[in-house]
Amino acid sequence: MTFCPVCGLKFDRGNYRMLADHFVDQSRASDFRHISWLNRNVSKDLMKAEDLSVSLMTFYHISGGIGKWIITDFVRRFRGDSPHPFILAMQQYDPEVIRGYVVEHHHFLKQWIRSCSYIIAKTEFEDVQSFELENIMTELHGYGASEPSHHELLIRMGESLGLDRNFILAEKPLKQTVEAIKIWNDLAASGSWISAMAAMHSLELIANRDLSNHGARYPYFNPSILSDKMVPEEVKTFLREGYEADVSHSYTALQLVERHARNEDTEEIQYAYLRSAEAFSDYLEARLERGVMLGNK
Amino acid sequence: METNNRKGCALCDATWGEYYREIDGNRMFFCCDICADIFENMVSEVKKRTGWKNIDHVDLNGNFSLGRQCTAKSGKETFNFYFRTYSDGRMMKFEER
Ligand SMILES: [Zn+2]
Ligand SMILES: [Zn+2]
Repeated sequence: MTFCPVCGLKFDRGNYRMLADHFVDQSRASDFRHISWLNRNVSKDLMKAEDLSVSLMTFYHISGGIGKWIITDFVRRFRGDSPHPFILAMQQYDPEVIRGYVVEHHHFLKQWIRSCSYIIAKTEFEDVQSFELENIMTELHGYGASEPSHHELLIRMGESLGLDRNFILAEKPLKQTVEAIKIWNDLAASGSWISAMAAMHSLELIANRDLSNHGARYPYFNPSILSDKMVPEEVKTFLREGYEADVSHSYTALQLVERHARNEDTEEIQYAYLRSAEAFSDYLEARLERGVMLGNK
Repeated sequence: METNNRKGCALCDATWGEYYREIDGNRMFFCCDICADIFENMVSEVKKRTGWKNIDHVDLNGNFSLGRQCTAKSGKETFNFYFRTYSDGRMMKFEER
């Protein structure tokens, strides 16, 4: 199956011509979501469907494995020459941005373990199940008082910047976060485990230090934050955890995807990744918006 | 009013889509309603800050991700500013620079 990366409409496998026709129809209707996808991923210039189908084929072409395809696209989207504004905001220490991060990310982590649970339930592979189990433990449950979960470290980071624990736990997510969570949940609930795995774990690339070897121009955050005396210890602890742990984490997941992917899985993996990355981009904006909201209080 | 985007959408220069909106008495071409919303908000923000009655020309440089560095002209006056919106078109940042 070929999928529209914007609305999920399905076409026959490899039928980029049908997909191109669909995009051209949506462009005629001046549909914002389809047009902005074309603008940001293919070209700003109007094309005939036959030319667009060639461009789409090029966009989806994989050389060097599905993992490499995802990494390259992710770098361009978030940490390349036109980085995501959240990445730019993290190039200096800004408590407002970190506070926004905490409040919205609480909801992300709750969905994260739900998506991982779908993967465990749907796969037959024990290496995948073990990986996801360990992931859930690290993210939400932790290993006793000496190794608190990332979720706990997140809350402590918020507390160190004046947020109340109960507020973090009770505050409703912003609209973009709600919509992103719905997309992540739908991908995991209705898609294959392998596409859900690619959709979720590709997002960990955001904090991956090794991405500079794949063309990333910006680190996730300015590493000088880790040695800044003005920055609370709890903020450093949270950022350091992600900074150090996610490097191996994220590649392991993509390696598992690559190991178990069959040819017929490729298009759904690409689709799920693309939907997830778009949702993630909106979700990162919610972190910024929340920061502004809290900063004005 | 015109912009440096002569080929396509007044805001982003894309030639996909076909959406027209009247802004300050000019029928302007946009690729979609969100670009028109963003442009309209930007125009009213510039007018609010400058007190201008109308804008003759806007030069926009940048993209969605980085935001846009702009110069607006009205008669002999110019106004330099930067803005970036959320993906749904609401203003994220607008500053004179
Ligand atoms: Zn579509
Ligand atoms: Zn446009």
